[in-house]
This record gives sequence, C-alpha cells and structure tokens, in this order.
Amino acid sequence: MILARLALRNLLRQRRRTALTLLVVVAGFLALSLAGGFMAQTFQGLSDGAIRGGLGHLQILPPGALDGNEAQSLEKALPDGEALAATLRRDPAVAEVLPRISFMGLLSNGPKSVAFLGTAVDPVLEPRHMASAEALKDGAKALGGAGSRWLGADPAAREVILGVGLARALGATVGSSLTLMSTTRDGALNAVDVDVVGLQDLGLRELNDRFLTVSLSTAGQLLDAGPARSRLSLILKRPGDVEAEQARLQARLPETTVKPWFELASFYRQVKLLYFAIFGFMGLVLFFVVLLATVNTLLMSVMERVREFGVLRAMGLQPRQLLVLLQWEGAFLGLFGSALGLAATLLLRAGLNALHLQMPAPPGTSHGYELNIHLVPAVYLFVALGLQATLQVSALFPGLKAARLRIVEALRHV
Amino acid sequence: MLELRSVTRAYELGGERAGVFDVSLSVPQGCLAVLAGPSGSGKTTLLQLAGLLDTPDEGEVLLEGKNVSALAEPARCHLRLRRLGFVFQAANLVPVLSALENVMLPLQLQGCGEIEARRRAEAALLRVGLADRLHHRPGQLSGGQQQRTAIARALAPEPLLVLADEPTAALDHAHGGPLLDLMAELAAEQGVTFLVASHDPSVIARAHRVFRLADGRLVGEDAP
Repeated sequence: MILARLALRNLLRQRRRTALTLLVVVAGFLALSLAGGFMAQTFQGLSDGAIRGGLGHLQILPPGALDGNEAQSLEKALPDGEALAATLRRDPAVAEVLPRISFMGLLSNGPKSVAFLGTAVDPVLEPRHMASAEALKDGAKALGGAGSRWLGADPAAREVILGVGLARALGATVGSSLTLMSTTRDGALNAVDVDVVGLQDLGLRELNDRFLTVSLSTAGQLLDAGPARSRLSLILKRPGDVEAEQARLQARLPETTVKPWFELASFYRQVKLLYFAIFGFMGLVLFFVVLLATVNTLLMSVMERVREFGVLRAMGLQPRQLLVLLQWEGAFLGLFGSALGLAATLLLRAGLNALHLQMPAPPGTSHGYELNIHLVPAVYLFVALGLQATLQVSALFPGLKAARLRIVEALRHV
Repeated sequence: MLELRSVTRAYELGGERAGVFDVSLSVPQGCLAVLAGPSGSGKTTLLQLAGLLDTPDEGEVLLEGKNVSALAEPARCHLRLRRLGFVFQAANLVPVLSALENVMLPLQLQGCGEIEARRRAEAALLRVGLADRLHHRPGQLSGGQQQRTAIARALAPEPLLVLADEPTAALDHAHGGPLLDLMAELAAEQGVTFLVASHDPSVIARAHRVFRLADGRLVGEDAP
C-alpha cells in the first residue's frame, strides 16, 4: 500500500498537469458514455418500432416463407392459421396472438390504379398491441386524413386504411370509395369495394407509398383465404424470454418456422451494426488520444523524478516495484477520471434531456424524434473499464523506463 | 564486515579513463571508516561498489564474509533494503512525503506495519533532533534538517552498514559536528559500521580508520 500512497502523492505534485490529464480522461468518458446512451435510445426506438410495427416478439411462419418472395400471397401460408392461433393463445407464455395475411394487388379509384402491399389484421386485437393508433394520429395530420379512425369491428364492414403516400397517389381522402383487386388462392382475379376510413403515416416513405391495412374478413373475401393466415405475430408475457420461447415453440411446432423479431427486422440489425462500427471507431480514436496524453504526463513525471527513483532503488526498491508505482499512478488517473466522467455524464445527460431537443428525421423516415439519452450503467462500466485498461497500458512505457534506470546514473541526474 | 578485494571499476570521463583500480580494503564491524581524497579520486565510485549500487569490472565485494558482487539484482535489492543504509551528499528526500513519512518509507518497504514503522521513524528523528519537525515536508526544512532526516532514514531500518557520500558537505560546522558525533556514537554503541566518503578534516578527525585515495587507487591507510 505504501506504493499506492506514494503514487497518489506523486499525482498531487504537479496538480495542473494531473488536472489536464484528468480532463482528457473525463472527455473520453463523456463522449463514449453519451454516445452509448444515444445508441441505446436509437436501438430501443427501433426495436419498439419493429415489435409494435407488426412483428411482435415472435413470428410463426409457414415453412419456407422466408425463402424467395416473402410470403406476399397465400401460396405459402399456415393452412389453418386461426386454429393454430387459438391453440397458442392457451400457452402460458403467450399474451396474445395476432394473425395476419400479407397480400398484394392493385388499388383503383376508377381512372387510376396503383400497386399496393396489404396487410390484413384483426381489427379488435391489433390496436391493443401494435402501434396502429400512433400511425393513424400522424396520418390524420396529412392532407385528406382528417377524421381518420381505426377499422371497424363489424366483420361485414369493408374498410381500408391507406398509407399517406398511397392516398396521395390516388387523390383519396377519408370517406373515399376505392376498389381492391387481387388474386385468390386459386389464382382467380377478384375485387372488393372498400371505404377509406383512415390514413396512416408509418414513418418510412417507401411504406407510406405502398402500404394499406384491411380487416381479416375483408382480405378473406378478397383472397378467398378461409382459415389460412400468412403469419402469426406473438406477444409474449415476458419479452426478455424471446430466445428461450423461440426454441421452445419451435420444438413444439416443428411444421412451422418460429423467428424472433430481431432476425426479421433487417433495418434494426443494419443500424445496430453501423452504430457499433461508429462507436468502435470513436472508441479507438479516444483510446489513442487518452493513451498519448497519459503517456506524455507519466513520462514527464518520470523524467522529473530520475534522481528520486535512483534514491528509491538505492534504498532497495526492486525495478518491478517502480513499474508497480507507475501502474498505481495510471490506476488513480483512470479511477478519478472515470468517477469525474460519470458525474459529468449524468449532469450533461440530465441537462440535454431537459432541453427536449428535436432530432432531425433519420434518412428514409418521415419524422424526427425527441432526444432522450438513455441511462445505461453497463455502457458506463464498459467505458470505465476500457479507459482503465488504456491508462494501465499508458503507464507501462514510463514504468519500464523508470525500472531500467541505472542507479548510479540516476543518482548523478540533475 | 565489509571487504573489497582488488576491486576495479573503470569508465570514460571526458575522454579519459577514470574510476577505481585494484583497490583492496577491509572495514570491521562498528568502525567509522572514511574514504578520503580529492575530487575525482574515486571515493563515490568505491562507495557505490561497496553499497551494491554498481558492479565491479574485476574483484570482489564481501559483506559479512560473503561475496555479494556477483549477486543478481533482486538479491542486491534485498541486501540494500535489509542490510545497508545510504546518506547522499544532497539529502534526496522524497518531496511529497513529510519528514516522518520519508523515514517510514524504507521500513514500510521492508514490510514493517504502519504503527511499528511510525514508532521507529519517530525514534530515529528524535535521535537526530527533529522531533518537532515530523510533519514538515522537505521544502519546509533547512538543508541541515533535510540531511538529518536523510540520516534518520538511513538509520531507522537498523542497517549493518551505512554508506555516506559527503554527508556534511551541505552543512555548516554547527550542524555537521553533532551529526558526526551521532555516527561515532552509533558505531561505538550499536556496532553500526560507517563508510563515509569525505575530504572534510572534521570527518577524518572522528574516523576510526581512513583510506586515502588518489587517481582511483588506494594510496594510504591510517588508523588515527
């Protein structure tokens, strides 16, 4: 412990220099931990968007549904999806099962027809678990979207909700009557007249230009679907158990494919990889900045203490003990730097979040979001450990230099 | 106690060969021995060899009858820590530690507990007349007080041999005299052996044995 005490005193010897080095460590901690909090917000937003955008926690798909054309027709379907949904609703881990039909076709206002991608959902269950209401709220603000509402529960109602871009392409507004055209399971052409009851803004321009939602009964009539469903979205009671439940349900339903949401949300995976690459690069740059700053400080400190090290060695201090002494100095710089960095991070995070800053819409999306840097203790721990390791590495070179000093030369040093 | 046998250590200094050459001497336990000679005569080099701070090119250094000149560095460190004490021309105290902490340092490096180290350090500082300066940093002490602290630091671990390089050079007569008296007293009462490099007549006057050096060679030995 005497070496630790000596190291601490040594850091207080040149207070201004130590303070500057600490400032570099604090800045490194601040940059990485705030970036980590921002990433956590982004990942949370993207995962919520994917799960509540229709994927649920798990998806039950027909075998081969993900091969080739992604189940945009009932060619590949769960033949009795409704019965399977009813069975799964009795599973103790499952909170709800939302059957869906994915289909495509043409939407016509008479003179003009536009291709669409459609999803048929249960009009009663869907709004309870998915973000349909939020999309409608944003759609209601669009041109012709006033009075937007969700699909009626009456199975006889023939209603549609259009993406804002699709509505614009056809000049449709809430209250317009349109015709949905598609092919049945047998390949026959079929059409159903529908009333537009709402517009939805899904956040992505490409989706808004093509996407529409109808009830399962409307799609059933159009596609002659019967009990067939393209997929089932499962909402779990414990969202943290996704991987375990996937394995269990896959074993229970070998004739289907059970996929977790994150394997299907390719955008989420791509953004995550991109952010990790950016974070990694930033970490590498900061690693070198902190490394250079602390090596410089400790090296200067060694050069100023050559004679003192000579005396300590003459007193019987082993060369490796000088190495340990310098390691202690690096350790204290890391410890204090991380502690101050954590305090600065918490303060700045609270300040930035209190400002309710609006971030611009990310590329490909139609609206921005409020900055809310998350509190992520695991990131703070990771950053602190990374900085600590950097400081221990930076203390190595000056430590070796001190340990290799020849005593008689060190004692002559002026 | 300490014996040097035909010790040679040569180095280049300003293009000329300097150092010590074929020096043999013996210092018995409890002796206050002085290496005397003009500047450049090899006093400090010989002291460094005797103190295991440097290794001779030729010859042997024996401590308590054992050849210690060929020992590996860890063993030399161990001997310096346990058996030897050093006093340098400049006190060379650690500036961030108080006088008491400076004296406690070698004791704690030996593995001595905090309380025991403090007790022995206080006793050593009391002995050199610095009982009222325990918590002063070196910068707050006079040159004489610093040197006395350095002597307390060398003596506190109770070494067998103390090597002192011009210990009174930075002191006036009023402070240097008592310091030398203390060394003589410790040698006589506790059997501590002192090897002091000095050309100060007052040091030589108190010595039990004087080794005279010139141009790196032993040219005479007196027992005043």
